[in-house]
Amino acid sequence: MAHKPTDEEAFGVAVPGRTSIPSGDNSVWADVSPLLHGACQDLQEGELIHGDNFNLFAAMSALEIMDPKMDSGIVCRYYSLEEAIENGAAPVPVSVDKTTDIRCIIDIMDHLLACEATWHKGHSLAQTVYSCLYLLQPDRTSSHALLHSYCRVTRATCKAVLSVVSDARTHEEEDLFTMAYGLPLSVDGDEKCLSMLNAVEETISRQLRACKSSSKRRVLEVAAIEPLQSDPDQEGYCKALLCRLRFRKHLYHLLMSIRRPQGRGLELARKHIASCISEFDCILKSSEFLRASAQGMCEQNIEDTTASGCQAIGFDASLNCRSSAPTPPRSIKILSWKKAVQYFVKLLQDLDIICAYSLDPSLEAALNFVIKFQKSQPDLVARSHLQLLLVQDGKLYGRIPMFALITRAAGLPEVTKDHDIQKNEFMVQLEQLVMNLLKILCTNVAWQRRKLGKMLQDWRVIHVQLELAFKKEFGEASKPSYDELCFKIFQQILMWVEEQTYWIAHRFLILGFELELYSVHDYCMVYWYIYTVLIKLAEKTHLRIVMNTGTAKKKGKKKKDSFKDAGRDYQMPGAVLFLQSQIYLAEGLCMMFSALKNEHVIAAPQSPFNTEHEIFIQQFELLRKACLPDNISYRSFKESTMHANFSNLVMCDYFKEAQKIAKDAKSCFANDPDKMSELRRVEQVAEHNSVALNLICRIGAIDRSLKVSFEFSHHPVFATAIVKRS
Amino acid sequence: METSAKGEGVGKVEKVEFDASEIEYVSYGGEHHLPLIMNLVDQELSEPYSIFTYRYFVYLWPQLSFLAFHEGKCVGTVVCKMGEHRSTFRGYIAMLVVIKPYRGRGIATELVSRSIKVMMESGCEEVTLEAEVTNKGALALYGRLGFIRAKRLFHYYLNGVDAFRLKLLFPQPELHPSLPMMVDKDDSHKHGDHRHSVE
Repeated sequence: MAHKPTDEEAFGVAVPGRTSIPSGDNSVWADVSPLLHGACQDLQEGELIHGDNFNLFAAMSALEIMDPKMDSGIVCRYYSLEEAIENGAAPVPVSVDKTTDIRCIIDIMDHLLACEATWHKGHSLAQTVYSCLYLLQPDRTSSHALLHSYCRVTRATCKAVLSVVSDARTHEEEDLFTMAYGLPLSVDGDEKCLSMLNAVEETISRQLRACKSSSKRRVLEVAAIEPLQSDPDQEGYCKALLCRLRFRKHLYHLLMSIRRPQGRGLELARKHIASCISEFDCILKSSEFLRASAQGMCEQNIEDTTASGCQAIGFDASLNCRSSAPTPPRSIKILSWKKAVQYFVKLLQDLDIICAYSLDPSLEAALNFVIKFQKSQPDLVARSHLQLLLVQDGKLYGRIPMFALITRAAGLPEVTKDHDIQKNEFMVQLEQLVMNLLKILCTNVAWQRRKLGKMLQDWRVIHVQLELAFKKEFGEASKPSYDELCFKIFQQILMWVEEQTYWIAHRFLILGFELELYSVHDYCMVYWYIYTVLIKLAEKTHLRIVMNTGTAKKKGKKKKDSFKDAGRDYQMPGAVLFLQSQIYLAEGLCMMFSALKNEHVIAAPQSPFNTEHEIFIQQFELLRKACLPDNISYRSFKESTMHANFSNLVMCDYFKEAQKIAKDAKSCFANDPDKMSELRRVEQVAEHNSVALNLICRIGAIDRSLKVSFEFSHHPVFATAIVKRS
Repeated sequence: METSAKGEGVGKVEKVEFDASEIEYVSYGGEHHLPLIMNLVDQELSEPYSIFTYRYFVYLWPQLSFLAFHEGKCVGTVVCKMGEHRSTFRGYIAMLVVIKPYRGRGIATELVSRSIKVMMESGCEEVTLEAEVTNKGALALYGRLGFIRAKRLFHYYLNGVDAFRLKLLFPQPELHPSLPMMVDKDDSHKHGDHRHSVE
């Protein structure tokens, strides 16, 4: 709407007072009010002027005033924090009656814990922890040592947790989590929260000792200690308070020590974790006493966010909607107190696993550790801690340089880790890729898979670049300055890069199962692809092991099938056998699905819009872009599966083979419980499917009412066939 | 955005008896259809949309929105868009709703198929949408139409539920050579010389 007024008259007179801003050449100021007024007359409610820059995002961001689904600014109770406080929404002390005061403060502590867990689970700080009015005005609590110290330590803890998550840069996950704009998160004096907490703890434990001895000796007065409560329940309340304060203290200590550089505080962190967990036991136990003493004393807490079952005083999530803090226009459900405790116990256990791990692992061990850790579905905070610990200052645990990690993974001798070759720009890039890989593996599985898929191309490119650099260096064989060590480093790192790339490709494929991205109709091509990727992975792994031990011929150009059968004449390394058992299992499943499709037991969907070919292209787009493996196409998939049927499938039982190899492989991993249990699972699936396959092949040809379904009861990736006659 | 058209598992809802031929499908015809669409979506989907969101879709791509009527009552609707997205021309299904008593009879499939057909004819290379991971009915419906679950989106909806990004790739001429099993061209590089303009 860029009009250039040529006729001054048509646009009215220039507004007086605005003439100080020059209007520029060939233009004058004009009053647009009449124009706007006229335009408004033409506009009905709900209509809009559509400009080119009004896109979907703008449309989605528009709010309808007074629509409760959208308008977060609707006044619920109070206009402002000040108004809420004036109305007595957050009194200090909560009650003039000491006992009531303590009872209410325990409820506040519990509800805050529930809010904190809800925040960790992915809601905004403003709608959870900072729905607490006491936290929003830090100075107001200063006259109340107990409440004040608890508020301080809670704020300090939130700040520490927030910095871990934002430092870890977990991308989309963090956006709600780290939004703290406008909230009093950094408050002067909060850094002294521990000494304040200690002082309060000391007072209360003296109090507890006093009431214990008074109940024993019936001594009524203990000098210098002002009683916190005035009734015989004093001991119960003291205990309930103490475990809550101590939990806070240890949690804060834990968060500080776990972040010490180079993993130096991990041992101490574990001690605090143990203390936190034992305080949780006391907190849980206190619930019985609190519930009993609260009977009929308070408003029922429907959400059950406190141990006593009472509604906590001083919380209002709607207040922040109206202040500057960014809040999604939705009311959220705060976790129950029990769920919050469960969340924190799980967080502590996850952190303990992280702290207990070796500080000097091989890259392979570190990668496997992260993957195993992810299986227990840790939440954002635990994953962020792991990530920050693993990659510090470009080193593993801030201790082991990436290049040393790579040379070790590539099976190179110790002396190579300081070789000048690490200054090569592509080696530097490779180090960066390894760091990124470690970080990506710590993110949530959905995000992780996408990043791994995209990363495959980077690994491919770095391989090509290293290969070129290698050829440039050693292309002319008669080069006078032939450095044998340098040659070996290049050669083995190149091989390792390929192996690692296939490792990532494999992980990318199998995560699709965990994320439920594949439908039954996709299984056939997915297992086929897993099979081809695993063959390559096994080939590269084998080559590396052989090179390292230096026992076999160096130039082993193996065909896929001759490689697969190589186990017959010489003892395969355990790592290769491990992969082989999975290769056979994947191939067996692929062939079983093909036969079921070719024999019309499973009907493929007939889309009016596309075919299996397009599905194949989409499913494996990222792998094929990175040429993993080379020359793979829909055609090769079709060719290897189109002839599978009931009569030829019995002839070659891949499942039996998988079972046999898994059994052999187990003897190599007697000391590795993770590999052992994986092999056992492979054996189980293979055994079940072998039986099912026999049944299908025998009966399937005659009985067309055969129903075959699949489940993942034995293995998350390899399906087990269930055969039924209907 | 969203789809609400779970085919099965709605046992409690009383089904309406009708013959498939009694359902009338109408392309978006103007302002008088807007309240019908808004009512349906407001009732059935969890996300709040402002009137601007509806207008954004139906004004720019009226040819991609359809309504289903039974005896004069609007029982289902689909709202879509299309445009350039990272060098591909793609369609996007924003909302698909069929009211509960009419589900499980193919109305949603018919509605969405009509939109997809227009997208295909308009030169789209692919169609995308998001669906809640728990919406089995919608996932099955789109699966039958050839959509794959391309990615999972962590905590996508405001209610904290994950979503799947579903994608449907249309066949491209060079992928289907006249001779069966001809050499498979490397299709990963072919985007770019295959563009249509439909503004």
